[in-house]
Amino acid sequence: MTAVLLEGLGAVGIRAARQLVDTPGVASLLISARSAARAAEVAASLGAGAEAVELAPDDPLPAGIDAVAAALPTTLAPARAERALAAGVPFASTVDAADAIDALLELDQRAHAAGLLIAPGCGLAPGLADVLARHAADALDAVDEIHVARAGSAGPASTAALRRALRDPVLEWCDGDWREERHPNRELVWFPDPIGARECAPVTVGAALLARAFPGARRVTMRLAEPLARRLTWSGRRGLDEGWGSTRVEVWGWRGRTRESMVYGVIDRTAIAAGTVLALTTARLAGAAPALAARSGPAAGVHGLAALVEPVPFLAELARRGVKAAAFEGVAVA
Amino acid sequence: MKALRRGLIVAVIAVLVGGFVKLRGKGGVPPTSGGWRELDGPDFR
Repeated sequence: MTAVLLEGLGAVGIRAARQLVDTPGVASLLISARSAARAAEVAASLGAGAEAVELAPDDPLPAGIDAVAAALPTTLAPARAERALAAGVPFASTVDAADAIDALLELDQRAHAAGLLIAPGCGLAPGLADVLARHAADALDAVDEIHVARAGSAGPASTAALRRALRDPVLEWCDGDWREERHPNRELVWFPDPIGARECAPVTVGAALLARAFPGARRVTMRLAEPLARRLTWSGRRGLDEGWGSTRVEVWGWRGRTRESMVYGVIDRTAIAAGTVLALTTARLAGAAPALAARSGPAAGVHGLAALVEPVPFLAELARRGVKAAAFEGVAVA
Repeated sequence: MKALRRGLIVAVIAVLVGGFVKLRGKGGVPPTSGGWRELDGPDFR
């Protein structure tokens, strides 16, 4: 009987809750949120498989939990990961800020010692983009470059993290080392319709997870589209990008003696895609979905989804739940 | 003084035109052919 604790009931958390309840291997879902009343209301709406719990940040985890899914603001995630680690429970988080991902990566040795898996970046990008990068890499003999771009955010906390990422210094993985991009150039990136062409700026977010998963890659870049809200709505109002989101993953590599590129993309409601990715990853960490686990993946440590899940069954299960990836066929844009 | 005023006017006009045209970044190249194909059954075998 697999039990999962979900922390956070924002735009992503509430979608993850529904997806977890609908996952056959998950028998029990405990829900913890800042508002106990909200947690109780959501648990009641999900049926008998869900139950609200009151859990203060310093409280120990309830007994019998097989994995924790955290859909929390980035500042809260590292402490919750520490708590899960102390309790010996695997941890998955949607955290998508570079400093928070770095904080989780610092737990790598302790996670190895405890024999636990911790998965930061279980959203659209980082997250689903990493799975698409692995899917592309599996079709190539060697991976050379990985370029990921994302448009859209899931809720106000995600939009704030996106804006912060666009302001922060930019580090890119280049020839086996991190290099600061002193004059970051914006580029037009073609996402699947209806998002289409968007101007994207380089960021650091998520590149560390990809560089770890693809040690042979010579270059790894991440780009984010500036939220439309900044230009088109009053400051502080909910952004237009908080609805639809997209990610585009371009992988260059070698097949035999030919250099080839593969381009994958996804378009969906950002919160729905991120919530579904978080739910499936948590089910995989809890042992409720063993078919999703990467065949030669790590047994412990802190890893992105490119290392943790088998892309084909993961993408097939996402498609079954309505989050469908697409391949670009034609002339790839370098 | 007159030359300075003219210089200032030219600079202001240049800034306004530059802001209007808003040339930022190096841009990208649109895909000239092809399109997106949804992954389905055969892709997942």
